[in-house]
Amino acid sequence: MAHDTAHTHAETFADQVRAIPGGEHLEMCYACGTCVSKCMIQQKVDPEYNPRRLLRLVMMGMREEAFKSPTTWLCSACDLCYPACPQEIHISGVIGAVKQLAIEAGYSSPLETVSVDEDLCSGCGICVMVCPYEAPHLVDKEVNGEMDRFSEVDTNKCMGCGTCVAACPLGAIARPGVGNADILPQLEVGKANGDPRLITFVCDWSLRAAEDVSLLESYPDNVRVVHIPCTGRIDPEMALRALRSGIDGVLVCGCAPGECHYKRGTYVSACKIGLLGRMLDQMSVEGGLASGRVRFVQIGTQDRGRIRQEVDAMLEHLATQKEAAS
Amino acid sequence: MSKPKLAFYWAASCGGCEISVTELGMRLVETGDLVDIVFWPCIMDFKYEDVEAMGDGEIDVCLFNGGIRTSENEHLAKLLRRKSKILVAFGSCANEGCIPGLANLYDAESIMERVYVTVPSLDETAGTLPMTSNQVPEGEIVLPEFYERLKTLAQVVDVDYFMPGCPPVVEQIWNVFQVILSGNLPPKGSIIGADAKTNCDVCTRQKGLSGARITEFKRPHEVEADPDVCFLAQGILCYGPVTRAGCGLPCINGNMPCRGCYGPPDGVVDQGAKLISAIGALIDTDDPEQIETIMDSLVDVVGYCYRFGLADSVLNELKYK
Repeated sequence: MAHDTAHTHAETFADQVRAIPGGEHLEMCYACGTCVSKCMIQQKVDPEYNPRRLLRLVMMGMREEAFKSPTTWLCSACDLCYPACPQEIHISGVIGAVKQLAIEAGYSSPLETVSVDEDLCSGCGICVMVCPYEAPHLVDKEVNGEMDRFSEVDTNKCMGCGTCVAACPLGAIARPGVGNADILPQLEVGKANGDPRLITFVCDWSLRAAEDVSLLESYPDNVRVVHIPCTGRIDPEMALRALRSGIDGVLVCGCAPGECHYKRGTYVSACKIGLLGRMLDQMSVEGGLASGRVRFVQIGTQDRGRIRQEVDAMLEHLATQKEAAS
Repeated sequence: MSKPKLAFYWAASCGGCEISVTELGMRLVETGDLVDIVFWPCIMDFKYEDVEAMGDGEIDVCLFNGGIRTSENEHLAKLLRRKSKILVAFGSCANEGCIPGLANLYDAESIMERVYVTVPSLDETAGTLPMTSNQVPEGEIVLPEFYERLKTLAQVVDVDYFMPGCPPVVEQIWNVFQVILSGNLPPKGSIIGADAKTNCDVCTRQKGLSGARITEFKRPHEVEADPDVCFLAQGILCYGPVTRAGCGLPCINGNMPCRGCYGPPDGVVDQGAKLISAIGALIDTDDPEQIETIMDSLVDVVGYCYRFGLADSVLNELKYK
């Protein structure tokens, strides 16, 4: 998809954006702002984030301002705004076109992105297959006189969801704050914290209401909340290790189908946790494991207050199980 | 200088490890000139009493294959541990349980019931089960006790070295013999006869195909695999990403996916869960119902994901804590 950068002088910035697949419907925006009301980024990350303003900058030929705008870089193409737009503009497509021009002009992504530890990378290419943004690719490099193959990440494409971090079998990929070394210590919840002990992995995007987010701070010590950028970051091995350490249950909260901030994370997690549950069930014996100890819930943008119900239900389930076992 | 004394033993295993050793061919004869084989029930006539009569630490190296399923297995593991300076867990069964370890899915009673009563090929209606002790007119007949589950060698005794593989390939066996004879052994607890890398590191198939995802897990017999392309990209489960290299890829080069018999590489705690973490991320659907269908296509998830390592997995620990 190499874009021709030899633009003529007559071509406006808007023309350039329109020429890139996805950028075609730029001029149809009448700046109603419905897209902004749907978007989680403005609320959670940057108040300056505003797709309609970016589209306006493009139409006004304000190239540098558009390239510097957080909107250009923060959009993860979740497309929550797409069905809401009365003009049916594929807004993430337009933003993607602006981003492509920005990269060509020498700008780079301000996001925290993943990096590859080449000492650990085996070149298996799983990260390449799982990435929703086509950020990693395999490259051949000479190491100590021998050619070897490694994953290399285009940091301008990486949105930092961490799906590859969990999928990498060797822990060769990390993103600041969400590497294995960052998450594993958070899974240590001792007996002194109370009963039943529950680890709740929460996708930072799945909770829209401020009350739901602040609720997470209010739980007693037996409920450990682990924030992850996306449930695509979930690694079943972590859940097993938590259970082995004496944790009673693992709850994973992600986005509703169709609302995943990083396109595929919630589906990936549904499959991983689903398979983990099947594994636990198949291995179970009477009085042993029950798949109810690991749960995946998908919270929709309209599900205000649901996180409280889910955590409470899980705690009750675990308490009942423990009582029955004793 | 006297020749080093070498012992081989098999516990709960299939005999494949012994066959792999005999594949040394003329090199085995050569080995016989360099070492004294003091115990190898599969090949030569020794009795347990012969081992019991040895002094502690008299055997220089014991290569122990097979898991610990019966009281006899455990007795010999402990006996050979005592009599050997160096005890090597030889092959997948001794290391991580291997195929016999899959029986840890079931308790001992239901295994007995299945094998001696309900298996369709058995014309047996009397429900006769083997017993550890049986009185006959001539006296008492005893059988080893069949334990509740299979344990790995290291779950029963202290193990010095771990040599993976089902079975360990013959070239690695030869390499390990050379290392033993040289006396330049790595630190205790090391994995020997294998590499630090994974099979993906050495596999030359085309990998890293962007967006190559899975809408169905295909079993090897259901599809004719492209011999040049990564199995996972074709929807065929391959253990390569989570399996230690060293086998020389006989399966992959025979156009069959890696099944993981060389065990997990460094840094992987639970091979099956890690495999799920990788392949679960490969699914290609946004339809919750289809996710279920994709999972259904992975028949026998434990058997697939823990084919060799169940008895040494975190999953196993959770069941038998």
